[in-house]
Amino acid sequence: MSEEKKKYMKKSEIFTFGIGLFGVALLTGWMPDYTQTFFADFAFKGKGFDSSVISSQISAVFLAAGIIGAVIELVTGFLIDNTRTKLGKVKPWIGFGAVPMAIIAMLVFVAPNTKNQTLAIVWMYVIYSLYTAVGCAVERPAECFGALCSPDPSERSSAISIASFMKSVGQSGGMVVVLAVGIVMKAVMGQQQFKNAEAQGLDLVISTAVCALGFIIFVMIFFMNNKERVPYTREKVSLKDAVKVVFTNKNLLMVSLTKLTGFGRGVYGTVSLYIAIYLLGSKDLKLALLLPMGIGTAVGTLLVNFVLKKFSTKQTYILFCVYGATSLAILYFVATGIGFRSALIIPFLILNFFCGLQHGNTNVTPNIMIADCVDEIEWKTGKRQEGLAYAGFGLFAKVASAFTKALGPWLLYTWSGYLVSTDANVAYAAQSDSTLNKFLMIYTIIPAAFVILQGVPILFYDMVGDKKERIVKELMIRRAAAADRDFDEPANDAD
Amino acid sequence: MAEKNKKGLNLKLYGVFAIIVVAVILGALTVFTFTARYTAFDPEKTAVAYVDTIVQTGDGYNACKNTLLSKDMKFGDFIRQNYINPVIYENYKPGAGTKGLKGLNDESLKGEKNLNDNGELEGKVIDTMYPFFVNLIESNGGFDAYDAIFTQYISELQKVRKDVFGDTYFDDSAFFTAFEANLATYGESLTGTQDEYDKNTGVQTKVASVGAYQEKFGEDYKIEVVSAGKTENGENKCTVSVTVNVNGEAEVENLPVTLVKIGRSWYVDNTACDTSELYSFYK
Repeated sequence: MSEEKKKYMKKSEIFTFGIGLFGVALLTGWMPDYTQTFFADFAFKGKGFDSSVISSQISAVFLAAGIIGAVIELVTGFLIDNTRTKLGKVKPWIGFGAVPMAIIAMLVFVAPNTKNQTLAIVWMYVIYSLYTAVGCAVERPAECFGALCSPDPSERSSAISIASFMKSVGQSGGMVVVLAVGIVMKAVMGQQQFKNAEAQGLDLVISTAVCALGFIIFVMIFFMNNKERVPYTREKVSLKDAVKVVFTNKNLLMVSLTKLTGFGRGVYGTVSLYIAIYLLGSKDLKLALLLPMGIGTAVGTLLVNFVLKKFSTKQTYILFCVYGATSLAILYFVATGIGFRSALIIPFLILNFFCGLQHGNTNVTPNIMIADCVDEIEWKTGKRQEGLAYAGFGLFAKVASAFTKALGPWLLYTWSGYLVSTDANVAYAAQSDSTLNKFLMIYTIIPAAFVILQGVPILFYDMVGDKKERIVKELMIRRAAAADRDFDEPANDAD
Repeated sequence: MAEKNKKGLNLKLYGVFAIIVVAVILGALTVFTFTARYTAFDPEKTAVAYVDTIVQTGDGYNACKNTLLSKDMKFGDFIRQNYINPVIYENYKPGAGTKGLKGLNDESLKGEKNLNDNGELEGKVIDTMYPFFVNLIESNGGFDAYDAIFTQYISELQKVRKDVFGDTYFDDSAFFTAFEANLATYGESLTGTQDEYDKNTGVQTKVASVGAYQEKFGEDYKIEVVSAGKTENGENKCTVSVTVNVNGEAEVENLPVTLVKIGRSWYVDNTACDTSELYSFYK
């Protein structure tokens, strides 16, 4: 058996890596939306605060937390790359950061009993910023563990694919938790008492506790079972050099740029409620609309793993981009062909599943590419910088997300010509055919264009084929030599 | 699975310890928050919540959710079983199921106007019912006479809907939509409203108005409901004296609210409370 075919990871490690990411996603997927709901509707209910002031402050809280998160993202990446412990470089962050993260997440849902509005607003800023900071310091290391789980790229890719699938499932786990908590509370308290407790946001409090408990259990299982198997390099990384890495390594920059060039692919989320109401006939169909896409995404995440066995990461990424754009275009033409009536519902939902498959690619392939880029950077500079590489990608993702949040509402409320209802008794005003067609375009054609654009930077990505093989081989030789040199003073417990 | 780190840290031990510590802290924080926010574990909190719901917006309807009426079921289901279903289904007995029954909520009873309504005719029904709603509240001195209120409101609503839609269709959402819309408007007539604009398009959706509370107590009035003490009335029964302060001055003093404890929860005994003063203190 050749050196590359050697199995480095135990089978259980592949599974527990996924379990760990599932746990992290369970909490990080739960927090933002439900924190917003809790702050707006429950935290200071009955305190007589000015609701318009609180609402505008909540937006500012999330903006401030986003900026703090972006800074902490880079700082964490830098600190990870300068961490050298017997456990490795990222494991200590995950294992020891998980405890404060779980507790602070819970504290976000323990609002102070105050009638002082200023104090309440200050508390929202402090607690959510703290959560964001601690969350970044755990979530980012957990993600970049993939680059360290095995020195073998193919074994590493499989582990990342499976973990990404578990992560995508975990992100929606909170929705199941809140549902289950509601059922148990109803059974224990009775229907009306549950309603009264729900009116105080207590179902959210309990659900947060469940998510945080799940998070700590799953992360600790990962922490106990998984090992970093790529030795860290000993050179200290300066902050200047660290930031430079993100912007000067061509391949890493190309992978990160996919986030920016494809930022508009997420605008479909803004219009999904209106697609359900105006095109399918009921706002209740919003969940039905997103469910097939969510299932498609999960299936797509597994599918990518199989495609990657046949094609390179570059080919896989481009293939899925072409597929994604095509499936969205087909959805557009089928919808316009059938017309906006009830007969559209079934074909729309089925095609939604096929549109969801492409998201598996964006969940998995970039993570594998970044791990490959980390190898390339180590090969070029002698320094291994997982922390900064993943943090850089995360930073681009955050900027792209801000663009998406700006573009989506503009397309929906300005470009489409949307008419808001001014009649208190009519929830949603009638819209013109042109507006309805633009709704459909925001859901299909516009994301399709961005899906193509997100593939463009990857055309310049070249960490594939012979080059990748050569780099991996040379790194193996270098690491073996370094291991011989360090025999008396091992760098970490990688084997 | 467990490994002992070369420095001596036992990962398995640390992992188990971390899970236990976090579980204990999460449990403690959950119990603390639950007992602090959930009103039904404390008779004084329950009484204050009951009165506060009434005085803030004149909402005696939602205040009923703290009473014995909601002991066994959701308050909405209580209304369905006792007032709506008997109107929809012939020979319906409260508590019985409705599966297989045919009644006024049969889709085939919907006329053209009903089927094609985009909300405008529904709005007309709501607007027409509002004076009747206000009259019911004022003539009954609030919601204590809930039986008369629901019975008369539903009867009138059926007539108005028939006039507006030209059919006999009637279901529970027809009641809840109209009643809750009237209740919200009634609340706004007390608290006043501010100009509201759609946050996405900037279109004005509500015009500012001055409420009855504002006329009496000033634009920035503040209503605070506090407990003035509790008297035990035997096992699992007590009376809480509740005071309503407006701008720091007592407008309603020592209103007695009787409560009953069932299981771990306290419920307002609505049959033993007179809340009419809470609907007139601002007049």
